[in-house]
Amino acid sequence: MQMVQMAAIDKADTAWLLVSTVLVLLMTLPGIALFYAGLVRRKNVVNTVVAVFAVAAVVSLTWFALGYSLAFSKSTAWLGGLDRAWFSSMRLDAAAGTVSVSHLAPHLPESLYALFQMAFAVITTTLIIGAVVERMRFSALLLFSALWSVLVYAPVAHWVWESDGWLNKLGALDFAGGAVVHVNAGVSALVCAAMLGRRQGYGRQAFEPHSLGWTAMGAALLLIGWFGFNAGSALSADGRAALAMLVTMVAAAAGALSWMLVEWWVRGAPTLLGVLSGLIGGLVAITPAAGFVQVGGAVAIGLMAGVACFWGATWLKRRLGVDDSLDVFGVHGVGGIAGSLLTALFADRAIAGVDATVLNQLVAVAAVAIFSAAGTAILLTVIRVVLPLRVTAQQEIDGLDISLHQESQN
Amino acid sequence: MNDSERLAIAAHLHVALRRKTGRVTDTEWMASDTAYGQAMARFALSHALANQDAELERLAQRFAASLPGAPAPAAPAPASDPAAPQGLVASAKRYVGGLR
Repeated sequence: MQMVQMAAIDKADTAWLLVSTVLVLLMTLPGIALFYAGLVRRKNVVNTVVAVFAVAAVVSLTWFALGYSLAFSKSTAWLGGLDRAWFSSMRLDAAAGTVSVSHLAPHLPESLYALFQMAFAVITTTLIIGAVVERMRFSALLLFSALWSVLVYAPVAHWVWESDGWLNKLGALDFAGGAVVHVNAGVSALVCAAMLGRRQGYGRQAFEPHSLGWTAMGAALLLIGWFGFNAGSALSADGRAALAMLVTMVAAAAGALSWMLVEWWVRGAPTLLGVLSGLIGGLVAITPAAGFVQVGGAVAIGLMAGVACFWGATWLKRRLGVDDSLDVFGVHGVGGIAGSLLTALFADRAIAGVDATVLNQLVAVAAVAIFSAAGTAILLTVIRVVLPLRVTAQQEIDGLDISLHQESQN
Repeated sequence: MNDSERLAIAAHLHVALRRKTGRVTDTEWMASDTAYGQAMARFALSHALANQDAELERLAQRFAASLPGAPAPAAPAPASDPAAPQGLVASAKRYVGGLR
């Protein structure tokens, strides 16, 4: 445990990170909740919303118990130790005028740094919900989320963001979580959807979204929250954070525009869901690059991400044949992969301080994807031994709101 | 089929109609009044055919068959819609096999 004098804490940086943490939490609650709940059928709205809230609660506690320590303490290049388990390293001694700090952010209270990272763990895990909605058993989802946040998310975060993590030492760049969050969640979502199987009526019935208005409000909250996600990852209220915020907005706009234009050309009409999806795709792709690129690079990344994510959520999805309900892999997985690789092409040494190589980025993406896929498959296989992953056929037909929660959205 | 079973099926149909069509029905009256029950079954079948909703169609058929002394009512032909190929409105058809 590292204690410093209160005077060593940077008040401006602390204030900014306090705000950023709230913004990132807002992305999940209610950003993801609204975005996802608007896309499912009416009979599954309550289940989708409660899943997001419940998983957020579960991961908040698993982060407190084990996740933070496994991710952000020094031990090996593959996994942290347990010296920060149960947030045991958090200390504030008012009498002595000292406060504990992380070696990764000695200018900030460690309680704040840990909470900021917790918000990332929460949103990463809740992203996976989008692939399994409308058919996954609630208890299985909670158990999976608890285990995944500790056994998959925490190690990956350690590899990339802990100073002695092996991908960090390799030189892979991931400013705010292109691989740690989006590739990780996207690949896991795909595996979950594949192992759960398709929803009844998939490919034959029209699964109409409950409310695109809700989805739009959710997307707006995601956009605003993403400023905390990316600019907050600078861990400082400075020029780099400001540039990260600017490129985030630019990439989002570019992604929205490129998806919209491609869809307009291919399908004959621009759609609200297309604009929103392109917006998210641009945000996903700029995430690993936000602290390393100039504005021009952000525009290019956003434009390419919009096209790539449109391809991922349409052509690729149909080729894979997996019922990823809300296209988590198509948007977050594909967008995260594209953004991570494009980071190497557009990273500016003057900003990043280091050179990035496509090879290093490729190694990072591949390692995270393989580990995420394998870890997810193992966890689901183990969980399946103790309880079914899917609801019954009748519960799925009746809707998970009534079947699992005895509530309904009117 | 006894009254309890018919009421249970009526309850399922009530939930499905409310969820899928916004139509609020009187569950007990549906189960006890044949004319009202048949009318609701026809309404449900009509909506099911227009939207290719297998679940609603199954429920409507089950409920219709449960009504005393009444054959399963034929659903009226869905209203023709030049923008609705194969019985699905265009906006719904895009959601077959994927959202995007």
